[in-house]
Amino acid sequence: MSDELIVQRGAERRFESPIVQVAAARDGESFAALTADGELILIPHNALRNAEAWTVLQPHEGGLCLAPDSVPNAYLSGGEDGRLVRTTTDGTMEILHEGRRWIECVASTPTHLVFSSGKKMELRKAEGTETLKTLEHPSTVTGIVFDAKGKRLAASHYNGVSMWFVQAKVDTVRPLEWKGSHIGLAIHPSGEALVTSMQENDLHGWRLADGHNMRMSGYPKQVRSMSFTRNGRWLATAGADAVVLWPFFGGGPMGKAPTELARLPGLFVSAVAANPKENIVAAGYEDGTVVLAELSDQGASDGRVLPLCAGQVTARGTVTSLAFTPQGGAIIFGTEDGVLGTVDLSSAS
Amino acid sequence: MEDLMSDAHDTSRTGTVPVTVLTGFLGAGKTTLLNHILSAEHGRKYAVLVNEFGELGVDNDLVVDADEEVFETNNGCICCTVRGDLIRILGNLLRRRGRFDGIIVETTGLADPAPVAQTFFVDENLREKARLDAVVTVVDAFNIIQTLEESPEATSQLAFADVIILNKTDLADAERRAEIVARIRQINAVAEIHEAQHGGVKLTDVLDRGGFDLKRALTTMPDFLDNNEHSHEEGIVSISLSLKGRLDQQRFNAWIGAILQEQGADILRSKGILYFEGAEQRFAFQAVHMMADGDFIGPIREGEATDSRLVFIGRNLNRPQLRRGFESCIAEGSVSA
Repeated sequence: MSDELIVQRGAERRFESPIVQVAAARDGESFAALTADGELILIPHNALRNAEAWTVLQPHEGGLCLAPDSVPNAYLSGGEDGRLVRTTTDGTMEILHEGRRWIECVASTPTHLVFSSGKKMELRKAEGTETLKTLEHPSTVTGIVFDAKGKRLAASHYNGVSMWFVQAKVDTVRPLEWKGSHIGLAIHPSGEALVTSMQENDLHGWRLADGHNMRMSGYPKQVRSMSFTRNGRWLATAGADAVVLWPFFGGGPMGKAPTELARLPGLFVSAVAANPKENIVAAGYEDGTVVLAELSDQGASDGRVLPLCAGQVTARGTVTSLAFTPQGGAIIFGTEDGVLGTVDLSSAS
Repeated sequence: MEDLMSDAHDTSRTGTVPVTVLTGFLGAGKTTLLNHILSAEHGRKYAVLVNEFGELGVDNDLVVDADEEVFETNNGCICCTVRGDLIRILGNLLRRRGRFDGIIVETTGLADPAPVAQTFFVDENLREKARLDAVVTVVDAFNIIQTLEESPEATSQLAFADVIILNKTDLADAERRAEIVARIRQINAVAEIHEAQHGGVKLTDVLDRGGFDLKRALTTMPDFLDNNEHSHEEGIVSISLSLKGRLDQQRFNAWIGAILQEQGADILRSKGILYFEGAEQRFAFQAVHMMADGDFIGPIREGEATDSRLVFIGRNLNRPQLRRGFESCIAEGSVSA
């Protein structure tokens, strides 16, 4: 019998194609996952321990991106079919946009949603059909984030990031420039900094107050996943055989060494997610291992590590994506081999 | 530069999806050729990346719009340009294993093939899942001589090619065709040349060639003659070298590494079949500018001639210097001719 926590307090199910992305709805009442084949799996909170009760829908032919919707109980997904689809937890699907090009990035706030195809990013009102503005970039958009207040919007692309104001009457871009290919981005919870991942296994950052450049390097692999901790003190990152955390306090990260959590020698972290309520970071590894690691505000190395499932016990494939509910009480992960897992972290019932 | 050859022993490239890069000057007949490939009954699934959507007359295969988005990457000592759109799109397409038998990337007439080829050396994820099978260049027999006079891009596309399709041969007589082939040979001594009309080529001449990984190159590589002819097109020439006697692998790695480091900007392509001292297999070497790769490709048969061969295609190449350098790679005690 397996003593993996996922067996005792969660559920898992294997799908035909890789899990591209996982997400939690804004109301915290459900999770969803998107597969490369374009299936959307809906997991209501009461089915966290029952994979048979998960609903499988087919909003796309080829799934590319997934995010919680502005609407509290729905998701937005984009695909190779050029569609942006809203899926409500009752299973209703609505096509919000249909074009010729892939929909590669999607994001939302309670009041707005945004998606990109090629160089264009389209901002809409939360209801989903009214386009407020279409913003052009010098090359294909590789990542989109809103700041925590939902007032600013940033898109990564070649040679930097473009920052826009959601409510601006006249759209003037704030360009943050750094040569090279930026493949994704994260924004500090208080809007102090913006960090991108680069093609060459580095991170680049800008202090938003003055545009000062930061470089965070030394990764053996490309950094495919980043997550700021709830208070913004640390930026947790994948790309090494431990969770690498950069300090964003006391003048950091410039001139500061990063700290590490949950090192598994020789096994690379492929996805990270910071818990929205506690000083806990979830990490997924190349062999499908998923752990929770505790950190303190000062540092981390002595923090406890709780394995949720172990690659040595069951091979699940490289973890591609992780998400907590907004309340932090449950977690979902997906892997390249199509395994989708959930664990209920709330006190034992 | 040691890193360049670090994958030399990696023979696990099987299981990767072959990628064919289709180049050719405006009006040479790329789209016709592509339509021909896609409408043929081959029972295989191809994804096609195009720049001009809508020109294709078929819809049974997956056609994806791709902008030729080139960026400069900075990998330690090497600066080179790669196609970020390929990294992104192929990365997504190849997540599902077994979804495609092959991928065809069409480039615009003016595109430099180097960034496409280099992309497959640079991105780790792409290296794991795909391999550059061949650069196929379509040439218009009617206009090619004039195009070469007027456009350095056309010369560069010929220099990069593993396979050259000489199209519209109905518009050129035998004498003219011979002149064209001679001209092409000055620039690229090793590419296969196939004549065609209206893009009508045999699919086996174009797809799944193994041209880039050189597994087939053994049979297609012509005899190496020391020809000292010079091309007038941008000064791009092919220089081929042949050596009897086994090579010392470490010396070769050091030498080729230094050559590519110093002259990689001028050397568009280099390829070779090498016999190393102590090795029981032939070694296939290839590079695009500074990015090099290599593989042991199969056992040496008894009685097989073990002459190592190396071709450089590029500008400002100094034949005597390259020859001396190549000769210095001969293993100690190995018989040299």
